[in-house]
Formats: sequence, structure tokens, C-alpha cells
Amino acid sequence: MRLFITFVGILMSASILSAQDEGYLTGSFETTDHSYVKDAANKFTPADDPFGSNNYLKLDYYKGNFSAGMQLEGYAPVLIGFPDDLSKFAMSNLYVNWRDEDFQITAGTFYDQFGSGLLFRSWEDRLLGLNNAIMGARFAYNYEDKVAFKAFWGTPRLGMGLSDTQVRGADLSVSLSNILGFDEVMLNVEGSVLNRYEKISLDAEEAGGKPTSTGFSGRLNFDWNGMFFKGEYVDLGKKLVNLTPKRGNAQLVEVGYNGRGLGVTLTGRRLEWMGQKISSRSLSTANLISYVPAMSTQYTYMLTTLHPYNPQVGDESTIAFNSGEMGGQLDAFYNFRRGTKLGGKRGMKVHANFSTYYTLAQEGTAKPGNLLFRDFSFDLEKQWTKEFKMVLLYSMQEYNPTYGNFKTTWLSNIMVADLLYKWTPTFSTRMELQYLTTQEDKKDWMAALLEVNFAPHWSIWGSDMYNHGSTKMHYYNVGVSYTKGRTRLAGGYGRYKDGFICSGGVCRQIPQYTGANFSITTSF
Amino acid sequence: MRTFLLSIVALFVSALAYAQVPSVTVENAKGETVNTKTLIKEGTPMIVSFWSTSCKPCIRELDAIYDALPDWLEEADFRVVAVSTDDSRLLAKAKSFAEGRGWGEDFTLLFDKNQDFMRAMNVSVVPHVFVLDGTGKVVYSHTSYVPGNELELLEAIKKCSK
Repeated sequence: MRLFITFVGILMSASILSAQDEGYLTGSFETTDHSYVKDAANKFTPADDPFGSNNYLKLDYYKGNFSAGMQLEGYAPVLIGFPDDLSKFAMSNLYVNWRDEDFQITAGTFYDQFGSGLLFRSWEDRLLGLNNAIMGARFAYNYEDKVAFKAFWGTPRLGMGLSDTQVRGADLSVSLSNILGFDEVMLNVEGSVLNRYEKISLDAEEAGGKPTSTGFSGRLNFDWNGMFFKGEYVDLGKKLVNLTPKRGNAQLVEVGYNGRGLGVTLTGRRLEWMGQKISSRSLSTANLISYVPAMSTQYTYMLTTLHPYNPQVGDESTIAFNSGEMGGQLDAFYNFRRGTKLGGKRGMKVHANFSTYYTLAQEGTAKPGNLLFRDFSFDLEKQWTKEFKMVLLYSMQEYNPTYGNFKTTWLSNIMVADLLYKWTPTFSTRMELQYLTTQEDKKDWMAALLEVNFAPHWSIWGSDMYNHGSTKMHYYNVGVSYTKGRTRLAGGYGRYKDGFICSGGVCRQIPQYTGANFSITTSF
Repeated sequence: MRTFLLSIVALFVSALAYAQVPSVTVENAKGETVNTKTLIKEGTPMIVSFWSTSCKPCIRELDAIYDALPDWLEEADFRVVAVSTDDSRLLAKAKSFAEGRGWGEDFTLLFDKNQDFMRAMNVSVVPHVFVLDGTGKVVYSHTSYVPGNELELLEAIKKCSK
């Protein structure tokens, strides 16, 4: 608390001094509160304390090239489904930063990422209770947009404090196109190195493990008139998996074209022993120092998210003991312009995605093993009249319930209609109708949602997801929100199904629960 | 404790100056790095909308702006900057997505793959839209979107142009 008061004092002094030269303070506050109730049908009994509350206060002060900020977090107690090492109150972030056009130096907490994040990423995702900010020092230098270099040293946050692990990293990006004076071509060559230190157990030491490990990545980025290519190779170095030495490595390729209303991206990725934790002793779902997301469509409709893909990164602590995975996806977006035969008066947008992933049949090879996940989806969006807009989506998902240990897969076909009608410029209704059909798991589902919007302030909704194929269980949810400027208040009540919540490519298991929820989000 | 609370109140009172665009590095559609400070060099007001491919209200809002843009530009001079907060899982998809909706023709597209710009602007959830005057000062902002919210943006832009 003393540290916090001192920090606020410094900020206040700086703020008062800045009254003449345009310094300003900005910040945000967020609270999410749940009240759990016993629900025998949902097999849910709340703990002794039937409440949960996650709270965040963030403040940033800017004055010219200088900035400083902090974040306070409070869990009273943490919401069900979040990492259980989040508890009570702590100042999670505290930094001072100086930056001009070319140079930046930060002391305190910071976030950063090398390339796609396969080697290193520190970031915050409050939906997952993840915040692996690095506490240390970082500097970055950019020479005329030709050469960019950054380096850092620090300790990642884990739970409510700092971990025992230290990380040091450096990243260099060379723009060959800017050096050679190419106008239309973008060609960058990039490389990173990450060194980490963590005290290891005697068993690991005897098995040949070392407290330090070093990983590398090399990248090539190319773009010419909308055609692009991105390639990344990552070598995590040698690490012990169940006391056996393994070399973590990954290959990522993205190639495509964006232009003339068409966007096409083909992605291929192979992972082998790419699991990388902050601490080898923590079982927290937030115990991550790199970012290895599922490269597939991230759905938002209720029935399309029952079995989201969870990538097999290759780690001893994952649900199934796989060495990794390989696969890819193809995305295509097209805009039929207004006035064309298919576009009609108001245009039409279509999108198709195909993604497929396999286990590695054999370590050190690119030979596919068992199917892990496959999805084909197609969606169409059409504004029929000024008032009426329609989205239709079809998805065929094939999912391996044993995470690749056996060949068995579950196949489901999902259909969604999303219908929006604007009755007046500020009054609208939106309805979702969804159906999932499958021979496996809990058989068929149906779902519906109705949302009534009174712009600019009010929105009311209700939804029900019903498993009529097997359990006959309803998962209902009603809610209301009020928004004024940057402040949003929302409240609701519902029965929620267990499953994964996936956000930004990271998933966490949430238990089923029944209860009321309330949230406030504001910024200033 | 009283000192602490007074400090907090004094801090807020002293911070009534308008928030501005901070200096943060993001990517453009080509993958080149761009400093957000360069956005305000052109001196025209702008709408800055934070969105992501998995945020349906964000997409509805940007589509509504896209559809209304020809009419709005007859009433005021301004630019639209769409900032994708998709991380590296969805970054390539976000670029193709924006192209497949025609946004690239009328909007300045930026990609904030580690959410540095989002954090610096204190955006907790998307959609979150700002209206900035020609000097980069925030004169209006709104979180969430339901159809009809976009009408407030035009009013804010018109006030900047006066």
C-alpha cells in the first residue's frame, strides 16, 4: 500500500505540474460479480461463499514523451472457472516509460511479443484470468524504419506475484525493402532469441536438465500488391519432458492475397514439444510464456462453440500426452459489390473456412497421425433492405474427444440464422436460431436468442440452449445492459454449461454453474 | 487512508485535460510498422474504432459507418481508422476479412496484434469507438454497439468541424 500511495503521489505531482503543458491521465475500471445459486438439475452447488468478484483498476499518465501507469487487481474471491491462484488484492502492473519517435525505454511491467508469439509473448486476457506481464526493463530502437531492435530482461508475473523464473530476450527486424528503396514491396527479415532461467529439481538435474535454456526464431515477411508470404521457424532448444530430453520446434507459413474485395489466407503450422511454461511447478492455466493458439475459426454462436479446438502443443502437462500437431486452414472472404448480379442493391459478403489438424505420427517428421479436428464452414451475409440484414452460417465440425489418443471422432453439423431488423433508426431486434445435429455425444441441440435494442442506451436479451437429443436440459440466460458513453452496466441471470471458454486462441475449462452476474466497465 | 483517498480525488481533478492519441507502434495492412502519432499529422478529425473478427457488434458498427460514409462525408470532412485487436491467431484473417468487406477502400486499417494501442487508450472491451479532433484530442467515445449508436458519431464529428 505504501508503494501505491507513493506512486499516486508521484503521478499527482506530475499531473499538477503538467497543467500548463497538456499532460493527461487516463484509466479504466472493470468489475465482474457473480452470485451463485444451488441448482440440482445443473449438478451445481456453490461453495461456502456463493459470490465471486473480479476487479481491475488501471491508470495511465501521459506527458509528452513520458508515461507512467499502474494496475490494481482484486479478487473477492475469484470467479468460478478462473485460475485459483488469483486471490485478494495486488498491484499487478507498475511502469514508467519514455518514448520518442525512434527510442523507447520502459522500467517496471511491460508486455511484448516476438513474431507470432510462438517463442515469446507476454499479454493480458481478463476473460481467461491471464496476465503474464514481465517486471523488469525493456528498450527498443528504430533506425529510420530500416532496422528495429528491442531487448528486455525481467521476471514474468504468475498468479498474484512474480514467478521465480527470469527471462531475457532480444529481437531484430531488418527491412530490406526500405534499405533498398523498394516502394511497392515490403520485405522484412527478422530474428529473436529468448533465454530463460528457472531453478530445476535434483531429479531433472540428474537427467541432464539445465536451469537455463535458449530458444531462437527466424522470420521472413513479404508483401507485394496484396500478395503476402510469412514464414517463421522456431527452435525452443532442448528441454526435459518427463525427464526425457526433447527439442521444441515449430514451423508456421502464411500465404495469401488481399485485394479487389477478395481476401484469401492459407496457413500451415507444425508444432513439436512447443509447450513452454513460466514455472515448471505451477498448474495454473495462466502459466504461459508463449502463445500457441488454435489456428481455426473462432466462433461466437452458442452451438458452434460446444467443442472448440484446443491445440496439442506438445507438453507433459496437456490433457493428452502428444508430441505436437500439424495442420492448416484456408480462409476466403469475398464481397459481391453493390450493383452486381449477386450483390444486388446492397452487396453481399461470403466467407468459407476449412481447417484440419492431426497429431504427429512420429516425432521429428511431418507425417500426420490421428485426426484431431476438422471444420468446414460457410457463411453468407446479406443486407436485403435498409431495415433487414441476414447472416446464414453452416459448419461441419469433426472433433477428437480423446485429443488424438484414439482415432474415434465426433461429427456434428451446425446451422445458424442471425436476423437483424431495424424498426426505427434507434430501435432494433436481433434473433438467432441455431440447430446442431450429431449421432455422437449428447445428440441434437437447438438454441435461440432474442435481443431488443434501444439505442443509444439499452439492450435486453434472452437465450436458451436446449439439448433435446439426450439430457433434455435447458441452459437459459436473460440479461440487460445500459451504456452511456464509455460506461457500460450489465446484469443477467442464467444456467451455464460446462465447457471451454476460448478467447484470443487460449481456452480454459469452466464448470457449469447457475447464478446472477453483474458487471461495470468504464474508462476515462 | 484519508491522505490516500484525497490523493486519488486530487489526481482525478487535476487530470481534466483531454486524453490524446498516445505514441504506440502498430501494423498497417501491408505489415509495416506505424506509429499512432502519425495519424494526427493530417489535421482532420477522425473516428477510431477498435474491433476484432470475433466481435459481431464491432463488425456491425464498422459496416454501419461504411454504409453511411458517402452521406456523412457530404456533411463533414473526417477519416475513419479501424484498429483490429486480433492477435496472431487471427491477424492474417483480420486483414483478409477487412478486404472482403471493402473496408480497405474507405478506412485506414491498423492491426494491434499485442493490444498495445488498445491498452494505451484504456479500451477494456470492444467495440470501443473514439472521435478525435484535428489535433488528436478525444472529444467523444463510446463502448459497445447497438444499431443506431453510429448516429452519435456524426454529431461528434460535426462539432469538431465547427
